[in-house]
Amino acid sequence: MSAPHPFSVAMLLADARLPGGGHAHSAGLEPALLAGMAPADVPVWLRGRARTVSLVEAGTAVVTAHLLSHPPVGTSAQTHLSAVVDAWAARTPSAALREAAHLLGRGYRRVARSLWSHRPPVQALEAWTGPLPRAVVLGAIAAAAGLRSEDVVRLTVYEDAQTAAAALLKLEPLDPLAPAQWVLEACAAAEPHVLRVAACLTPEDIPASGAPQNEGWAEAHALLTQRLFRA
Amino acid sequence: MPDLPQNPDTTTTRPLRLGVAGPVGVGKSSLIATICRALAEELEIGVITNDIYTDEDARFLRSAGVLEPERIRAVETGACPHTAIRDDVTANLLAAEDLAEDFAPLDLVVIESGGDNLTATFSPALVDAQIFVLDVAGGGDVARKGGPGIGRADLLVVNKTDLAPYVGVDVEQMVRDATAARDGRAVIALSRTDEASVTALRSWVLGVLGHYRDGVHVAQDPGPMAPHFHAEGEEHDHEHEHSHAH
Repeated sequence: MSAPHPFSVAMLLADARLPGGGHAHSAGLEPALLAGMAPADVPVWLRGRARTVSLVEAGTAVVTAHLLSHPPVGTSAQTHLSAVVDAWAARTPSAALREAAHLLGRGYRRVARSLWSHRPPVQALEAWTGPLPRAVVLGAIAAAAGLRSEDVVRLTVYEDAQTAAAALLKLEPLDPLAPAQWVLEACAAAEPHVLRVAACLTPEDIPASGAPQNEGWAEAHALLTQRLFRA
Repeated sequence: MPDLPQNPDTTTTRPLRLGVAGPVGVGKSSLIATICRALAEELEIGVITNDIYTDEDARFLRSAGVLEPERIRAVETGACPHTAIRDDVTANLLAAEDLAEDFAPLDLVVIESGGDNLTATFSPALVDAQIFVLDVAGGGDVARKGGPGIGRADLLVVNKTDLAPYVGVDVEQMVRDATAARDGRAVIALSRTDEASVTALRSWVLGVLGHYRDGVHVAQDPGPMAPHFHAEGEEHDHEHEHSHAH
C-alpha cells in the first residue's frame, strides 16, 4: 500500500473527529474562564497561547521528530526521549498540565500504535515505560509519517486554538462561527515564529515560552469538582 | 462457535467492563449502587461515572457507601457524554485501565454513561457488555419505541417498578413490549426494594462475568442508531453503505 501524503496525515491529526481523547480537553479555556477571564478576552488570549505555550509544545514535537528520524550514532532512542521529556517538563511547571498532557499522550499513543505500529519512530515509543506528553507522541507520529517541521508547528498551534474554540461553544453563548475567525488569527499570530521553532534540533532549543498565568489557572481548575473538561 | 477474543493478552486478565446507559433520571446511579451492594461480598468492583458536570454521580455513589470512595472515579466528557462512550472512548478506556491497575485484581469495572437519550449506547471498544435502563415513570410506551439500547443491549432494565401504581403503568405490559422489541434478549423489571428482582440482576451480572472469564462471551454492538423508515417505506439500520444524504 502506498503511503498517504504527509499533508493528509496532518489533516487527520488536526481533525477533532480522530478518536484520541481530545474532546474532553479545553486547552486551558475552562480553567481561564472559571478563574475570571472575560469571554471577550478569548481572542487575545488565543493569540497569546499561540505565541507562548503552543510554541513549547510545537518545539517539543519538532525536536522529538528530528531525534527519532536522525538518531546520532551511538545513542539510543530512549536516551533521546528521556532528554526531550525532561526538557518539556522543565518548561511545563504545572503538575496539572503535565498530567493532562500525559493523558492526551496516552490517547495519541493508542492512535500511533494503531496506525503506524510498523514505523521505527513509533516503535521507539513502545519501549518507553513511563508517561509521554502528547507533544512527544506527536513528534514520533510526525517522524513516522514524514511531516515537515513547519507543518508540525502549524498543526500544534492550530490544534490548541481549535480545541479551545470548540470548548468555548460549550461554555459561553455565542455564534459558532465567531471562534473560527479567532482560530485563524491565532494561527497568524504564530506564523512569524514558525520557521524559528521548526529549526529546533536539540532539547535545549525548545522554546521556554510558558505562560505562568495559564499554569496557575490550570492548578486551580484541577481542584474543582464541577468541570466539563479535563484541563 | 464464538469468535476468538481480539486481545488475548488482555481479555483474560483484565476485569469485565460493564456499561450502564439510558436517559436522564431513570436510576442508572441507583442501579449501580444496587449492583455493588448485591455483589460487594464476592466481587472486587470499580466504577467510572461520566456526568455532564464531572462528579455529581460519583458523589452520589460515594455517599451511598457501597464501595470505597477511591474506587469511584469521575471522567470529564467535554459536555459530550455520547461521544465519550462511542465515537471517542479514549478518556473512559484510560480511566478503566488505571482503575484496574490501581486496585488489581478487580473483577468488574462498571462505567455509567452520562444521561443521554434513547440513541446512546456503548462501543464494544469500551465495554464487554451493557445494560440499558428505562423506568416506569418515563412512560409505559417507551419500551415499544425501541432504539439500539432498548432493542440490542445485553440487558434491558425496567427500573422503579415500585412506582408503577402511582404513574399508571402496567409493568407486565411494558416488559412484554420490551421483550418483543428485543427478540427475546434479557429484560429485568427492577425495584431496589424488590428482593427477587435484585437477585435476578445479580445472577445476570454473575452469568455474564462467568461467560467472560470462560472466554465464551462476545461483546455485542447494539449499533449507533435505531432502524428507521424512509418515505418509500424501506427500513435499514445503517450497516450497509447507501448513497442518499441524511
